[in-house]
Amino acid sequence: MTAGVLPLTGSAPRKPRRRWLPAHYWLVAPALVLIGVFLVLPYFNIIVMSFRAPAVGAPYAPGFSGGNYLRILSDSYFLGVLADTVFLGFVTALVCLLLGYPVAYHLARTRSRFRGLLYVFVLSPLLVGVVIRTFGWLILLSGNGVINRALVDLGLAERALTLMNNRFGVTVALVHVFLPFMILPLVAAIGSIDPNLEAAGRSLGAGRWTVFRRIFLPLSLPGIQAGTILVFVLAMSAYVTPVMLGGAQVKTMPVLVVQNLIDNFQWPMGAALALVLAVTGIVLVWVYARLTGALMRGVQ
Amino acid sequence: MSAGRARRGAWLRRPFRALPALFVAAVYVFLLAPILLIVLLSLNAGEFLAFPPQGLSLRWYGALFGNEPFMRAIGTSLWVATIAAAVSTAVGTAAALFFVRHAGRMRETLRMLVMMPLMLPEILTAIALLFFVYATGIGTQTMFGLVVGHVLVTLPYAFMNVASSLYNFDRSIEEAARSLGARPFTVFRRVTLPLIKPGIITGALFAFIVSFDLFNMSLLLKGIGMTTLPIQLFDYLRWDFDPTAAAVSSLSIVMTFTIILFVDRVIGLRSLRFG
Amino acid sequence: MTKLVLERLQKRFGAVHAIRDLDLAVGEGELVSLLGPSGCGKTTTLRCVAGFEFPDEGRIAFDGADITDLPPERRDIGMVFQNYALFPHMTVRQNLAFGLEMRRIDRAAAAARIERVLGMVQLGGMAERYPRQLSGGQQQRVALARALVIEPKLLLLDEPLANLDAALREEMRFFIRDLQRRVGITALYVTHDQAEAMVMSDRIVVMFDGAIAQLGPPAEIYQRPSTARIAKFVGRANLLPGTIEASLGGASHRVATVLGPVAARHDKALAAGTKVTLAVRPEAAVLTAAAPADRPSFRVRVEQSYFLGGAVDHVARAADAGIVFVVSTAPSNALAPGTDASISFAERDAWIMADEP
Repeated sequence: MTAGVLPLTGSAPRKPRRRWLPAHYWLVAPALVLIGVFLVLPYFNIIVMSFRAPAVGAPYAPGFSGGNYLRILSDSYFLGVLADTVFLGFVTALVCLLLGYPVAYHLARTRSRFRGLLYVFVLSPLLVGVVIRTFGWLILLSGNGVINRALVDLGLAERALTLMNNRFGVTVALVHVFLPFMILPLVAAIGSIDPNLEAAGRSLGAGRWTVFRRIFLPLSLPGIQAGTILVFVLAMSAYVTPVMLGGAQVKTMPVLVVQNLIDNFQWPMGAALALVLAVTGIVLVWVYARLTGALMRGVQ
Repeated sequence: MSAGRARRGAWLRRPFRALPALFVAAVYVFLLAPILLIVLLSLNAGEFLAFPPQGLSLRWYGALFGNEPFMRAIGTSLWVATIAAAVSTAVGTAAALFFVRHAGRMRETLRMLVMMPLMLPEILTAIALLFFVYATGIGTQTMFGLVVGHVLVTLPYAFMNVASSLYNFDRSIEEAARSLGARPFTVFRRVTLPLIKPGIITGALFAFIVSFDLFNMSLLLKGIGMTTLPIQLFDYLRWDFDPTAAAVSSLSIVMTFTIILFVDRVIGLRSLRFG
Repeated sequence: MTKLVLERLQKRFGAVHAIRDLDLAVGEGELVSLLGPSGCGKTTTLRCVAGFEFPDEGRIAFDGADITDLPPERRDIGMVFQNYALFPHMTVRQNLAFGLEMRRIDRAAAAARIERVLGMVQLGGMAERYPRQLSGGQQQRVALARALVIEPKLLLLDEPLANLDAALREEMRFFIRDLQRRVGITALYVTHDQAEAMVMSDRIVVMFDGAIAQLGPPAEIYQRPSTARIAKFVGRANLLPGTIEASLGGASHRVATVLGPVAARHDKALAAGTKVTLAVRPEAAVLTAAAPADRPSFRVRVEQSYFLGGAVDHVARAADAGIVFVVSTAPSNALAPGTDASISFAERDAWIMADEP
């Protein structure tokens, strides 16, 4: 039954086939070159720049020193700004979590036919641009802006409240800008939780609050962690909103960085400030991730 | 009857059940109010940004079209956004094809690399590029640095959209085409490409919108004499605000909403992932 | 004449040895099934013939020409996929036209072929529909039509009926087999459903763990399986371990088992003392309340019975021998659980398997 038309050639191993392997790598080459040359290398260059010496009339002088870092870390002004920035990031992330979690839950679980529209409502603010959104808050929060006018006209306040040029105004606007960044990862995380788990908990006798606390919340922790880290980092790095709504009263690290880079033309200092901010952020996020990671054992 | 008692109990519970729904609605209002407010005020017939508006008129849009700096800024933004979207879509599509089909062990590393511009603060990336163009002598007289920066930041969006439409792609359709006699490039052209077109278009549109709104990147990398719309608007608003700014903002808002609704209609927003 | 030859094929995926030393020849117009459990290598073998996998060693020849290294689009094959793989962005007509375009058949001739094939699969008025507008069965027929319209020399089918419901599957089995016979095309069919393989094939290739376990027409596989594993995979079997007591000439043997000596058959003479396994199909065994007078039998107690519509399955235990026997009878001959009964079977229904499983 096995007589073939070809003479049996014995089982000599065939020469390895060269299929079109190399060609595929060309697909990814442009992206890698782009990222490697214009992102990775320049980032290392920031580190180099931060160790350069300042100069007058030029961005930097020849020679290297750690002087910038010494200045930053020993000056209580800079440390204060850093602490302010961290605090701002922290508060923004927290408020975004409190506001965004219910919205994300609703969006992930709703079966209403307006679901697509709700997605648009969450997504669009993201894509409208930070300047325009902060402008909107300018209109709302300023001394003779919409809110104050309404409060005064309705007799609810005697005179205008100071809602901007302070941390409150900046925080409100930051929350608004970054809320979608909290909602979207949470929606993804909640969406991946099997709805049957909640039903199983109820069938075993747990009330709604217990089911939420003992079953749902722990399972949504990865989403919470992702969202809070994202918003924290974004809020710490925000430039436009603190400048437009904070005035001279609220200074954050990014504001100082840009000031040094553009206004004062002190690039080494600007680079050092940026790196101090970045490292602080990385360390804090790392610690946070470890702490919440311990909470999530068994969930991921 | 016990049914009646249960119904009465439900009435009592109803207001409390409505609380979460009210809260969620309030957050949506919070999200949309500032944006809608701007659009509303751009139609204000009066001088000030007063609410309620003192009548409706398009005069501020008229003023906008006569405002040369704004018009030039819009032109620059459109130009840069188009180029950035085109480049990042091309690069991102190629990278996505490799990522989904050929990456093998490099997968997670590649993903992280391409998504890096999204994970790193935009301002740091802008600074890095600024130092880079200065160090290499390219400088900021040309738009090169600006465009590269925009491409970097928009690349992840193009990549993610194409990759996500490739994930759900049924390879056996391509195999069927090959079994019918089509060579690999014909398969790509006649079968693969038409089916991932929605993902590519969505990626391009997102790249466009994102680039159009970029601030930090443009702030540091723009040369003297050139400006993009977000920066022009920012400068304008430092000193005063009037409805002309609202008018130009509204145009941008309308453009964004139109594109998003279009995308939702075409492929549905639920399938998008954001990292 | 032999159309397709697979010669000493080997294929590994990392540590997994997917195909071991496989030799197969398929004649013109034959439908040969590759039958086996998942992971046995049948799909990998088919994909090697199609050109989507390349064997590490060995050769594949078609019509005398070595096609081992040819890419799929250069082999003259038509393939039907498990999930149909219809082009969703093309109508039925465009799907069918695709392969013809690749072969540069002119429009008029192509249109004629498409009409004819649509008639063959009974999808006459559906040419302008899109795949998503068709039912599963209709999509499957389009997939079949698309593979046939290009008039390939070889038809490859990868579990094409797996996604259809039971009734449709049965109907489509006959349909595909009928079509294949009428067109006279050589076909290789992969399935894990032994009933399907039996109905459709000229020959069945039973595969386990990457190698051919047995190869032959359906009747031969069913009535004369070479190992216990095959006996259990193709149909159901009652297995009795035993030792050959004597060869009684020709095929007959006397085998010592826990039930006592049993007369059974094998295709060649076996030496006394050989350890063997007997296979008796449930429908071949006879269940009676009283012990039959004219032939050997053994006593059992019926433990469970299951009504299957056209037959009743009985699970009966011979307590002293410690074995359980499954007997299938017509409903009119069924016995209730708890009844004491006798089981007997003819010598020709007791098949000896001498190979290791």
